Amino acid sequence: MTLARKGHWTTVVGLVLLGGVYVRAVVFTPVERLQGPAQKIFYLHVPAAVWTELAMVLVGVASVVFLFLKDPRLDRFAEASAEVGTVFAAIVLTTGPIWGKTVWGTWWAWDARLTSTLFLFFLYIGYLLLRGAVGDAGARARYAAVLGICGMALVPFIHLSVYLFRTLHPQPIILKPSAPSLPPSMLVTWLLSFAVFTVLYVGFVMQRYALGRAREEGDDG
Amino acid sequence: MGETLRHAWTLARKDLVLEFRTRTAILSAVVFTALVLMVFNFGRDPTAVAAIDLAPSILWVTFTFAAMLALNRAFQLELENQALEGLLVAPISRTSIYWGKLAANLVFVAVVEAVGLPLFVLFFNVPVAQVLGPLVGVIALATVGFVTVGTLFSAMLVRTRFAELMLPVLLLPFLIPPLMGAVQVTARLLAARPLSEVAGWLRLLAAYDVVFLTLATLLFPHTVEQ
Amino acid sequence: MADAPHNAGYMAAAYVATALILLAYAVSLYRRAARR
Repeated sequence: MTLARKGHWTTVVGLVLLGGVYVRAVVFTPVERLQGPAQKIFYLHVPAAVWTELAMVLVGVASVVFLFLKDPRLDRFAEASAEVGTVFAAIVLTTGPIWGKTVWGTWWAWDARLTSTLFLFFLYIGYLLLRGAVGDAGARARYAAVLGICGMALVPFIHLSVYLFRTLHPQPIILKPSAPSLPPSMLVTWLLSFAVFTVLYVGFVMQRYALGRAREEGDDG
Repeated sequence: MGETLRHAWTLARKDLVLEFRTRTAILSAVVFTALVLMVFNFGRDPTAVAAIDLAPSILWVTFTFAAMLALNRAFQLELENQALEGLLVAPISRTSIYWGKLAANLVFVAVVEAVGLPLFVLFFNVPVAQVLGPLVGVIALATVGFVTVGTLFSAMLVRTRFAELMLPVLLLPFLIPPLMGAVQVTARLLAARPLSEVAGWLRLLAAYDVVFLTLATLLFPHTVEQ
Repeated sequence: MADAPHNAGYMAAAYVATALILLAYAVSLYRRAARR
């Protein structure tokens, strides 16, 4: 099976499993007393946010290694990860305000997670635009790598500046040194959702990577 | 190292001499700054909004625009005269090219800020006398931050399509952390609050400068590789 | 104790939006590959 087909089927599996997560989240996970059913947006919003950031870090890492090794496969992977990261960012920026409206009474409040994701979204758009604007393949890969590395370096500063601001976002309750504050059934739902988003990331990247490879071969051939 | 610095300084001086001889870019930047400050001042209702509430943001929007003008001008000049190709075959390191460009851009922006700041004080009637030292300090820290990244990016963009449009788009996320810090610290200073309150932001500004200056120096050669 | 707020509509909107975005991207990738 080619990479494109494997990626395609991975994505299909991921989407089917997502349906399972939907059912589990909506029907079989308890409703949060204070926030109501809208709290369940959390099971999609946070895994997407985590992958938005992970995808950016991976773009950065691939970019660093690319500048040393000059292997075009790394550049292709970075390109794929950036596009998929943009899609996940769109999910975060869509589900966030919907959830926010119910919790804050307003569609947007400059809270930590949404603001950081907005930054990442701009970084991704810039990265993709830069790739689109450079004709020469060699230059494109180098410039994208430079931008990717700068983007990755910016991430801690994004978090720091957002942290230094007061935030309205609910305190993180998944990753705490002590036991997580989420009741077990909610934690399981969250973990399942995160696993499914991981599958989707992998499937999407495989397909996008294969697409990038096919384009390059088409141009050279 | 010493040679790199000397080359950088020579390059910077060349750029600056060219600039001040023609004076067009610096004049337009200064006029633009004055215009922005005036418009913001006329735009607010003095009975409803205190100058001091808006002032820090207005100051920094103005300085940011001025920095963008400087950055655009710098590499356009090079591109028009195709001097960049000449620079690349000259026996100077890539690093000195970057530092030279950076120094020239910083001087340019500094001149605009040096004119802008008194105008700002005049139009907005804000008390800067007591805090002038720290204020100049934070202006320097933030300016170094965005001109460092901006110089690196304009080197990449000069030969791409839509370069003038791309620069602000690419630069936007990189401007926000130093700008946030700059506005916060400026606001505290103008309100005569102690600097200790903004220690976190100052550390962010300093760390940002160190990280991105280092990164830009390391990455610049990759933007001009042949 | 007060009842939980009735905001299931918001939840549905977010869930539908997420599914649409993911499906649209999956379809886009599939069609771009088919064109090659």
